[in-house]
Amino acid sequence: MREKPKVVILACQQALPDPEPLLQALEAAGLTARAVPEPCSSKIEAFHLLRILAVEADCVRVLACPEDACLLKEGSCRLGRRLKHAQEYLQEIGLEPERLEVTRLNPGEAVDLPRLAADLAGVALTLGLNPGRRRVQEKEPQK
Amino acid sequence: MIVGTRKPLAEIQGMVAGARRLLVAGCDTCVAECVAGGRREVAELSAALMMASRMAGRQVEIREASVDRQCIHEFLLEVVEAAQGAEAVLSLACGAGVQALAARLPHLPVFPALNTQFIGETAERGLWLENCRGCGDCLLGLTGGICPISRCAKSLLNGPCGGAVGGLCEINKAKKFDPEVPCAWLQIYDRLSALGQLERLTVLAPPKDWSRGEAGGPRRVLRPDQRP
Repeated sequence: MREKPKVVILACQQALPDPEPLLQALEAAGLTARAVPEPCSSKIEAFHLLRILAVEADCVRVLACPEDACLLKEGSCRLGRRLKHAQEYLQEIGLEPERLEVTRLNPGEAVDLPRLAADLAGVALTLGLNPGRRRVQEKEPQK
Repeated sequence: MIVGTRKPLAEIQGMVAGARRLLVAGCDTCVAECVAGGRREVAELSAALMMASRMAGRQVEIREASVDRQCIHEFLLEVVEAAQGAEAVLSLACGAGVQALAARLPHLPVFPALNTQFIGETAERGLWLENCRGCGDCLLGLTGGICPISRCAKSLLNGPCGGAVGGLCEINKAKKFDPEVPCAWLQIYDRLSALGQLERLTVLAPPKDWSRGEAGGPRRVLRPDQRP
């Protein structure tokens, strides 16, 4: 059976408190999806993004608040810089930086889930499987 | 602290190309402060190398370890243990740390992942400035705590040179700096003025004995009271 691209969503709880409907929409679009709730996008480090790509994901999407609406003031802004740093690593490797992206959602406002899911699915299906990702037959690295 | 920056990934990949089992070793003091070689950066680099090796069709087993100071042998035990079974070690420490680790691992190649830059301070978040050359004959007591050797582009002992404009060093005309480089001697003047010690500037500094610095060959400090 052909492997479905996997998307991991890192969702700021202010931007998207319940990512479950989004996961369902992504799976309906032909993807495998997992969500990691985050108290704020500022908690996401560059190494988290790269590790997720190396270990399990074909694409990672951070759902964060707009920079001027972050609960922790600078959190969303810092996330943007860290994401850029991680994207630079991908460029050095020769992977598409679009595999790591952020979508800004206004906290407290209704999210257009079909549109968000279509955008995510479009990117993931266009990019396809991540050639740098660990495949099932590969053993776990030792820490 | 020692400030370093990561080497380009292609250079790192070239160094460790033959290794199928690799240890990536961080140092959690100076180079962690400058966001180049601490455990976070070890995790970033390891993930990147894992992906890059898979894309090249090679399977590389990567372990990660990080210690407080790679330049002190007592701290290295954890890294030495983690290196068992590895075919190569990639160290994210400064040059001193890389060499100390290599001395503890005589049968393993130890490669530097960083370019060690200078002794410096964290001036602002994301900005590190060189402010000590380790010249072996510190003048800070005479210059109000501002080092003319490292912070003056010409390392003048009797400055300023006359090229400063608007408080900025003339090196800004030759090269783009952001933020711009201030004239260290004007900073020294302002500092001594604030301390009420401007008369210090009337004393000409004699030629400096550079043999106490790197011009004098490999340096060492020997403390008989600390020897075993």
